[in-house]
Amino acid sequence: MENVSTNGVLTHLSQLEVRARSPGGPETQRSRVKELRAEAEELRGLREQLKAEIRALKDPCFRQHLQELRSSADPRPSEDPPLLQMMCRQLDLKDLLHGHHLIGGLDAVQTRQGRAVCVSLQTTYEGVFLETFNLELELKPRVRIGRHNIPPFVPLQSLAEQSRLQTDPGAFLSTLSQHLNAFVGRRRQLQLVKEQHASVEVMESNLPCSILVLLFTAQTEKAAVLCTLEYSDHGSRLPGRVVLDCEDKQLLKSPEWRSCCATLMKTPVHRALARMKKSSLIL
Amino acid sequence: MKIISDNGRFDTFRTLLQMLEKMGAENADEVKMLEGHIEHLKAEITSLQHQKEEIDRDAMFHFKGPMLDALLIVCRQTRDKDEEVVMSKLKEEVEELEKDLRLQTEMNGIIVENCKIKTLFRSEGKWIRQVCVSLQCSHMVFQVDFQVSETKEGPTSEKKVIGLNVVLDSDDLQNCSGFLSRVEESLDLLLLFRTLRNFSDRCDERSRTFQHLQEKFPSVVSLPGGCRSEVMSLRHPELPGCVVFIHWAVDIFTEGTVAPKINLLTKISEKALELFPSQPVDGAAEAFQSLLRILGPEAAVECVLRSVSLSQGDNVWGEKQLKQS
Repeated sequence: MENVSTNGVLTHLSQLEVRARSPGGPETQRSRVKELRAEAEELRGLREQLKAEIRALKDPCFRQHLQELRSSADPRPSEDPPLLQMMCRQLDLKDLLHGHHLIGGLDAVQTRQGRAVCVSLQTTYEGVFLETFNLELELKPRVRIGRHNIPPFVPLQSLAEQSRLQTDPGAFLSTLSQHLNAFVGRRRQLQLVKEQHASVEVMESNLPCSILVLLFTAQTEKAAVLCTLEYSDHGSRLPGRVVLDCEDKQLLKSPEWRSCCATLMKTPVHRALARMKKSSLIL
Repeated sequence: MKIISDNGRFDTFRTLLQMLEKMGAENADEVKMLEGHIEHLKAEITSLQHQKEEIDRDAMFHFKGPMLDALLIVCRQTRDKDEEVVMSKLKEEVEELEKDLRLQTEMNGIIVENCKIKTLFRSEGKWIRQVCVSLQCSHMVFQVDFQVSETKEGPTSEKKVIGLNVVLDSDDLQNCSGFLSRVEESLDLLLLFRTLRNFSDRCDERSRTFQHLQEKFPSVVSLPGGCRSEVMSLRHPELPGCVVFIHWAVDIFTEGTVAPKINLLTKISEKALELFPSQPVDGAAEAFQSLLRILGPEAAVECVLRSVSLSQGDNVWGEKQLKQS
């Protein structure tokens, strides 16, 4: 009888052991509890941290104090704690950098421990901020253009040579920014022509938007006029040459059409077309 | 093998077994409870993070890293951050920013002296900010105020300049005023700064040339308006009635092209003109334009200078050019 009971106990024990070792068993459950307790504690800590940060960020006295400190003309070094002064300095620097970014249209960040500079070039047209292009300039041993996402029709190498990249990277970036802005400007003008002037047909355009051929209908006799705009200077948003062609050669000799040629050379094309429509020159 | 047969020990075993089983059940409960608690905490944290992002987005100041730690210390919202450590980390960040600022200043060629940004308007998905920047570009000091509006609609966002005003605190205002009003209308920030920088470079070039020539020919050259002015006058000390003026303007054309426009003007007394009917004098201005095209601004001006100072030898060719007109 004793044997049966002890045998029963041992079997029971070994069964429990198996259960304990198996997933869902008490031993794994104990370690799971430990894990969960630790996770809960971590999350509680994070929650308290966030609450403290929100309280600090919302703190009205602090904001007022900081505002006063930053707007006061003369610094009062003795009165304010050094940490607060250092915070003001950080905020001032951030604003100055933001100012640079807005006026220069470029954001330069040193990378690879000062061995390279990553530049983001902003493009705008008529006040609207359009796309950004990126370029890496390796500085050592010589200044060299690294990776970039600038369209291939922009002649980077010749721009670099022209603006003496080695001695004045700022001048190179300024010229590059001009070319990129000119390209984006021409492309935007073409978009606006398509959007605003449905009566004008775009016959031809190319990738760098340096050639534009338009077909419009003159009011007089509803004659078709073919207009070719050549932007030979890729750094410009205005055409270098305008050629008008019409079957009725006499039409184009009139003073209105002559002045319209001049307008097309001096005004962005979508605006020039609007003027021509307004003066009833074209449909 | 000694098999436990003692009834007392068997009972202990049985109690132990019962406890183990009970613990197993309790553990399962605790696991459930903890898992529920954790889910709740995660939800709370997500909502707090959203709150924080909203405050951050509204604010002019963005706090993270050492700045956030410093904020917590200053607002007394934390007890376990070491002020010295935070201070030194913040100092490191400030030094990095100063390095970035030096780099940007070099790249842009303009010194930003002051930049104030203020939120004028804020609503769901739209901001309007006012930016006032004071800048210095070589000798030119100016202030630019503009408004930027930003709209976010789902994945698309649009940022644009909606107002622009430039105040130039400098004597070069007349030449720039046409360009400035055009650019204020077209809201072209980038063109504005690129052009002002080029304009400033050209003015510096003129100033350097004038100064250099005055040092080289002090008895002949005078700068009635100072070395930053547009006019240089040349006269031979022994011919007081005859003055040659070089007017060197810097013009800004459409699209921001900047180019010098240099003209030569003569002021000769009536008496002298009677004595020497003045083919060379009449044609001087045109001849100067040819010289300009061939030699460029500095060399052409120096040529005229040498002629006026009646110096022999060096630039006989130049003198011949003038006389041939």
